[in-house]
Amino acid sequence: MTLAPERLGGAVSDRATRAAAAARRRRSPLRRRAALAALLFLIPALLVFGYFAWWPILQSILLAFQQTNLVEPAEWVGFRNFEVLFADPLLPKAALNTLWFTVLSLAIGLPVPLLCAVLMSELRRGGTLARVLAYLPVVIPPVVAVLLWKVFFSPGETGVVNSLLALVGIGPLQWLQSPELAMPSLVIVATWSGAGTAILIYLAALAGVSTELYEAAELDAASVWQRVRYITLPQMRGIILVLLLLQIIGAIQVFTEPYVMTDGGPANATVTILLMIYRYAFLFGNYGVATALSVLLAIVLIIISAVYLRLTRSWSSR
Amino acid sequence: MHRRTRRALAALVVVPLIAGTAACSSGQNDATNGTGDDHVTISIMGKPAATNTAAVELFERQVDEFEKANPNITIEASDVPWDAKTFATRLAGGSAPTLLRVPLTEPPALIERGQVADIADVASELDSFDDLNPRVMQFLERDGAVYGIPEKSYAFGLVYNRDIFEQAGLDPDSPPETWDEVREYAAQIAETTGKTGFGEITTNNSGGWHLTGYDYTFGGSIIEQDSSGEWKASFNDDSARDVLELWKAMRWEDDSLGDNVLGKQEDLVAEFTAGNVGMWVSAPPDVYPNYVAAGGDPEAFGAGPMPQGGADATLAGATVLMVSAQATEAEKAAAVKWIDWRALRPNYDLEVAAETAKASAADGLPVGVPVAPIFSDEAYAAYREAIDEYVNVPVENFAPYVESLGAFEYVPEPPVASQEIYAALDPLVQAILTDQNADIDALLTDAETRVNAILAQHAS
Repeated sequence: MTLAPERLGGAVSDRATRAAAAARRRRSPLRRRAALAALLFLIPALLVFGYFAWWPILQSILLAFQQTNLVEPAEWVGFRNFEVLFADPLLPKAALNTLWFTVLSLAIGLPVPLLCAVLMSELRRGGTLARVLAYLPVVIPPVVAVLLWKVFFSPGETGVVNSLLALVGIGPLQWLQSPELAMPSLVIVATWSGAGTAILIYLAALAGVSTELYEAAELDAASVWQRVRYITLPQMRGIILVLLLLQIIGAIQVFTEPYVMTDGGPANATVTILLMIYRYAFLFGNYGVATALSVLLAIVLIIISAVYLRLTRSWSSR
Repeated sequence: MHRRTRRALAALVVVPLIAGTAACSSGQNDATNGTGDDHVTISIMGKPAATNTAAVELFERQVDEFEKANPNITIEASDVPWDAKTFATRLAGGSAPTLLRVPLTEPPALIERGQVADIADVASELDSFDDLNPRVMQFLERDGAVYGIPEKSYAFGLVYNRDIFEQAGLDPDSPPETWDEVREYAAQIAETTGKTGFGEITTNNSGGWHLTGYDYTFGGSIIEQDSSGEWKASFNDDSARDVLELWKAMRWEDDSLGDNVLGKQEDLVAEFTAGNVGMWVSAPPDVYPNYVAAGGDPEAFGAGPMPQGGADATLAGATVLMVSAQATEAEKAAAVKWIDWRALRPNYDLEVAAETAKASAADGLPVGVPVAPIFSDEAYAAYREAIDEYVNVPVENFAPYVESLGAFEYVPEPPVASQEIYAALDPLVQAILTDQNADIDALLTDAETRVNAILAQHAS
């Protein structure tokens, strides 16, 4: 009697499964103990996280459907906070402003640090100095940096930026005082203060690109641009994608710059979603509407992240 | 990594976390244990800023004497100024101060939200309570309940730099009295000195605040209550239009408002102290101490009447002391005692007034800044007489302002949702001052819609 091939295959695979299961059984008490220990060690951290992060998140979702003065017990109001929010004529303006800020800050904030990193990695000398200089703005406390820029952007001929531009015959520009220029001014500040971190991350990623690839390209007489286009960028795509997503999320949550520099002005030109949340909560004491808007923002960010990850899945896993 | 090392590392991370949580919780316990039945500890606002050393010394002396006179009360003072943004969260977290020191714009919202206590029973026992100025008290009393006591009151007026007036060929003893004159003077200052003729502020609700104050001088109002008791925006009219036209002309025709129109009150105080601004509108008695403490020349400080557009009215406000709704009865009583000690007696009890004035003068603090009195006119006159020998402020520089106080009608700020309304008006003022082609009518209509939406939301 001969065994059918599939029967044989089945027997072999059965045996393999049994062996693997036996091995698992042999290993499992140890493994389980290790897992238990890990869990025990994690419990305090989980508690802290739960209490200070997850519980407040849950609470704030509830708060979006309540009205409270934080003294008396909160009152359940259903979707009224959302109705108030959607009736606010400032909401579309703030959403558009936030989108405009995001687009502008990606248009400037993505290529500039990448370009700087590529150029800096090509430096034969002074690389450390360049890195220090690039990272310096990150070290300055954000509010101080933003206030400094407020002085730089002073309108009139004596403003720092304006007197520099006057050398090439431009201006004087109104910067923060102009409804059109206020937002781009904020983007310049945000890029300036955030670029250092991105540059360092790009530099680290660049260091990880195998030099053999470049050597091979040089043997093939590839130009600098070709090396960047066919080696550097594809090798760094994972980092670029993550940073891009972080930048999108960060830009949509922009707050410090408009709050400190313009307070949303002039004429609502720089009112952002976060500034609205802040005003609802801390200026008008309407915590329900503020959390309703926060919840909406969180949902939008989750959707954007999911869509983004889906769209870029093929590219990032290539 | 070796498993044992990994565990040790995990423990290193986790232990401080637990310790941190434990520290948080024990801190909370201490706070609640501190308030026993016999001994009361109250946290109060209103300690002068640390930079004003003389004022801090005087304050601390007053605290010491108060604690000596009331051994069962301990005062914990803070120099953190009122901040609507953090107050509610501190209230929710149980760390709000017992005694709040707030501008008069705040009480309506605080009372509406039930965040402040009724102190009628303890306050009415104070000697000076019945003499408090009803013009201010009307905003602090509701249906027999008393929610606060004024520390000082003010009315809008013109703050100006006498030196700049002289440089511009203007008479520092006769400040402008109408908006037309303000416009003329500002243009002259800007042209002859190159400095900002008339300073304006537009962010953090200050644009709406100023628009309101200016609108009053043209006989306008910001909101009105109709016969059914419903509040409606009432500023889409000629008086507000006059204010906006004036701003537009000064900004774009005369160029006398300077380059920076996107600032707040503190920015303008700094610019004014530095001698870069000719005139602006604020509460002169409130600005003066900050101006002097920041190094401004007392002799250069001028206070004029609120410029008028025909209504003979001015926006009036006050700094008010209120007690948190979370205070116990004992804390409430202690807080009112302190209010009497620090804010009322030195302005009412003539002996204490003279002593306080003497000590302040010795410390180099301004004594005798003419104010809109928190007590009756008679009580104020007696107080001025009692402190007369210690007055170290150039009172004559305030004469035009003081004269106007008796002549103008005091108009309060909007009693409903004032901060939200101001926030909705800021962009309107900013649009006029940053966009040469701003359409006044369209902006007014737009702002009216917004304010009505805010009022409707408040009513619901």
